[in-house]
Amino acid sequence: MSAVTWAVARRSLVLIPRLPSTFVPSMVMPIFFTIVFSEGFRGLANLPGFPARETVDWFVPMSAIMGAGFAGITLGMGVARDLEGGFYDRLLSSPAPRPSLITGSLMAAAARSLLPFALVMVVGVLMGASFAGGVVPSVGLLLVAATGVSMITAGWSVAIALRLKTQQSAPLMQVGFFLLMFLSTLQMPLNLLTGWLHDVARINPMTQVLDLARAGFLDLVSWGQVWPGLVALAGMLVVLVGFAARSLQKVIP
Amino acid sequence: MSALRQYGALSRRSIVNTIRQPAAIVPALVFPLIFLALTAAALDRSTDLPGFPRVDSFLQFAVATTIVQGSLFGAIAAGADMAKDIEGGFFERLVASPVARTSILVGRLAGAATLGFTQAWIYLGITSLFGLEVEGGAVAMVLISLVSAVVGAGIGSLAVAFGLRTGSNEAVQGAFPLLFVLLFFSSAFFPRTLMEGWFAGVAGANPISHLIEGLRSLVITGLDAGELLNALAVAAGLLVLGIAAAAAALRGRLKAAHG
Amino acid sequence: MAGMSGTAAAPVLAQGLVRRFGDVVAVDGIDLEVREGEVFGFLGPNGAGKSTTVRMLTTLLRPTDGRAVVAGHDVVHEAAAVRRKIGVALQEAAIDPLMTGRELLRLQAILHGIDRPESRKREERLLDTVGLTAAADRRVGTYSGGMRRRLDLALALMHEPVVMFLDEPTTGLDPNSRLALWDEVRELNARGTTVFLTTQYMEEADRLAGRVAIIDEGRIVARGTPAELKARVGEPILRVLLPDGADPARAREILEGFGQDADGDGALAIHLKGGASRMGPVSRALDEAGVPVEGLELHQPTLDDVFHEATGRRLEGADEDQAEEAPRKGRRRGKA
Repeated sequence: MSAVTWAVARRSLVLIPRLPSTFVPSMVMPIFFTIVFSEGFRGLANLPGFPARETVDWFVPMSAIMGAGFAGITLGMGVARDLEGGFYDRLLSSPAPRPSLITGSLMAAAARSLLPFALVMVVGVLMGASFAGGVVPSVGLLLVAATGVSMITAGWSVAIALRLKTQQSAPLMQVGFFLLMFLSTLQMPLNLLTGWLHDVARINPMTQVLDLARAGFLDLVSWGQVWPGLVALAGMLVVLVGFAARSLQKVIP
Repeated sequence: MSALRQYGALSRRSIVNTIRQPAAIVPALVFPLIFLALTAAALDRSTDLPGFPRVDSFLQFAVATTIVQGSLFGAIAAGADMAKDIEGGFFERLVASPVARTSILVGRLAGAATLGFTQAWIYLGITSLFGLEVEGGAVAMVLISLVSAVVGAGIGSLAVAFGLRTGSNEAVQGAFPLLFVLLFFSSAFFPRTLMEGWFAGVAGANPISHLIEGLRSLVITGLDAGELLNALAVAAGLLVLGIAAAAAALRGRLKAAHG
Repeated sequence: MAGMSGTAAAPVLAQGLVRRFGDVVAVDGIDLEVREGEVFGFLGPNGAGKSTTVRMLTTLLRPTDGRAVVAGHDVVHEAAAVRRKIGVALQEAAIDPLMTGRELLRLQAILHGIDRPESRKREERLLDTVGLTAAADRRVGTYSGGMRRRLDLALALMHEPVVMFLDEPTTGLDPNSRLALWDEVRELNARGTTVFLTTQYMEEADRLAGRVAIIDEGRIVARGTPAELKARVGEPILRVLLPDGADPARAREILEGFGQDADGDGALAIHLKGGASRMGPVSRALDEAGVPVEGLELHQPTLDDVFHEATGRRLEGADEDQAEEAPRKGRRRGKA
């Protein structure tokens, strides 16, 4: 990791507490989702074929992924802010290698995803999550999925920021992520989805990622459960980080 | 200018101003619809659960929530526009003119009510294209839209009160997520019969639950006096509370500025 | 590049630079040559194409046509090498208001691959040079406009560039900050850095630049030292202010002998042959002829006049400059 990558990542982290308007909601939202989904949709656990005994085991991983995804989006919002404010010119007119601007964002996204991850873990424990497949596999697999998703949304949001060059593009960044999540097994497992949504979720790589994230919590820890998620993460990462890199090319004269 | 004409003029202004902001309207109308489509598709099987109210589809269950979300939009717009008028100075001009003080509020609320009324019909119309059947028929639809109007005015007046107190558009917009929090801690997204423990208690105590359940009953069962009355009571309660808050806030602002 | 070997050492060399934005031609064939160790002034009104040219020279924008060599490297093909050798302080100070001055300097050092001990030394030195040591640990958002410009300058100097590009460094600054910044530019140049200065203020170009190129509508319309350019415009203009209702005919007769008619902006005026020293004789001649005179104004040509000669228009901000100028020799006004 070059010094520039570290510096870019470190700057993003240092700025977190200096922008309280994004900091507080990003902390509150994952906790809120964990509670409200687990409690509000408690009845889902009684559906025959539902993979979890308690909804908390189903929704805790989902909330961590949502939180991680939004953490990644803050990186794109930061780039938009830099572009609007002119600071990005400084980065571009320096001899720093261009790729390190992207990799620095990815590292920062992964680091930022740790906070919602930790918060959701705490809430999950308090709400009685069972960690059926063992604490280490549950937490470990979820961590892999969460950091992966945060880098994916970072690639997406940074690309949008570089193309639209305005902080008004934030809703677009968020909507893209929302759709990706809601068109998959965010709320219901694949075996309980019907109609068009079942078909879409089946081919949506996020479904595999959610499977990976939930594997430990649902006591489904097996290579067969895990490798599709890893492939999906890798695939989406390549596509979206590539999108970001190409978008950076366009900004450079 | 008679009071009625003033009311009319300011109401018209509220409505026209909101319609002229497509960048705000389109997402506010479209997102609840997309959310409805996605959750109805995802949670369809959950209607099989014992304890789930008898419905044709999850769509039938959820549409009442979407309509309430829609009236939230008009309500927040009323509060935000009030704040913008204060920020932009139009409020001062109104106050300095011979316009009746009440018309300032009535104008905004009429705007919110009209929007609440209209979006209910838009949503009912669109969802009917996707197979929604309202068990209570045309009468139910009229009732739903009227209640939406009242809810729009009620929450709108709370938003206007907030707008008058803070004078800040940003503050009002920032309060919007709080309304959503209220929505999540209710039976907006899932039946109360399938909730347990403290959460069921909170949802039960939340007036929004009773409002939505009342509107929902019009869609899934038909005209049920009991449920309907609950909804009306909540809507009316919101309106009374909201108007009181708005009137107090208006008095407060006028006093602060003009002694 | 064939034919360039003799001038390859020039810090900035541009040949036929063109930049189009769709149908708009912002820069229409610019040739420039900057000599080592000089302060080169690039003067022109808003919208003339100055910033666009600078962005091309600093590798932030690709030329549509033509080429440029800065600090010995081609701006398109060896952009990274150019960036290592130039310092850039653009019109909008490229800073982050949420970071402190010191944090920005540290980041700048890392971006340029300067190791920590060296970076620490330079940070302190630069903060001292631009007078921001006390404010270094405050967020830049709290800085005044002048402070931000100075920080921008410090950031641009962190890697000890060979050529410094300053794009409108004093636009929007109060007069004191402007003078302070001029001093810093002079010091910078005295230490050996070549400076490429863009400005819309003729005063700035006049006082700081060794040579000037005047740009209008994407083209260079005049170039040379300020003295050369002003001399080309001609003799100073003498305006003769007569009292209301006075007959100008007699005055005109007398003045004919001292120089040709000039545009006096409503008053009688001539190009005074022989310069300012002839003011005395003019005054005596008018006096002896009994012509009542309210005032005599000697108007030395300025770069604004040079611009006017070349384009028929005045530079923006020229009026601003005249209000700030110290009273000139020979200006005597009867009016208050």
